[in-house]
Amino acid sequence: MDINIEHILLFKTNIRSEGDKRYIGKIMEEHQIEEWTVDLHDIDCVLRIVSPTLKLEEVINLVMNSGYHCEVLT
Amino acid sequence: MRARDINKVELVKQKAIELLVDLGFEGFTMNKLAKACKISVATLYIYYQDKDDLILKIGIEEVERISAIMLENFDPDSSFEEGLRQQWKNRAKCLFENPLSAQMIEQLRTSTYQSKVLGIFGKNFKGPLGKFMQNSIERGEIEAVPFETYWSVAFAPLYNLIRFHNEGQSLGGKPFVLTDEILWKTFDLVLKALRK
Repeated sequence: MDINIEHILLFKTNIRSEGDKRYIGKIMEEHQIEEWTVDLHDIDCVLRIVSPTLKLEEVINLVMNSGYHCEVLT
Repeated sequence: MRARDINKVELVKQKAIELLVDLGFEGFTMNKLAKACKISVATLYIYYQDKDDLILKIGIEEVERISAIMLENFDPDSSFEEGLRQQWKNRAKCLFENPLSAQMIEQLRTSTYQSKVLGIFGKNFKGPLGKFMQNSIERGEIEAVPFETYWSVAFAPLYNLIRFHNEGQSLGGKPFVLTDEILWKTFDLVLKALRK
């Protein structure tokens, strides 16, 4: 498991249901974001993306524009 | 990984097991775990993709670790009595020294993680324990009985004694502490039952 920590982007969201996740999945696909997961079993619904190029702001805009809340997880 | 991080991973694992046993899989949250470890939630998500991933990874690691302890100094070619005695020693030691892990594994057994995690016991035990049973049958030491019958007679009494011990009481609330004397007396009876 040799992931560069710098490449892991973490966000607190309200992507809560399987339906929400499917919808976000389409958005991710459209933007060629491949390594992503959403924790549907936890209260923060953490969106986790592994990408060497994406910026935090880009992801926040992308998710917010899709109608979901999204902030950097601290 | 840096040494400092290995300690942190170990702490996360210990606390996760404690919380999973205490709160159950539903009540357990990454937030509560982060608080218990005095680290940020974000740090947890660097190590683990999500709650599911964390439970699975920790479950798998614990099952691997426990099954290694259970097979310590066990020789499938030993006599039936010697081999079974070693397994009783190992299993008792395992459950006494790792009560929380044992409880978590028990929780996994009745959860949706069951198929992914508990198959590892099968994979690790099938070879040595199957060979041991086969040897004992071929040498005429025990009856050829279905594996499930063998396992139930061989180990269920031990697990039950340990359950009484962990609960501190046996039937009807009678206080109970498992002593070596009771343990090995029970073992002798099990041996008697399985031997031809």
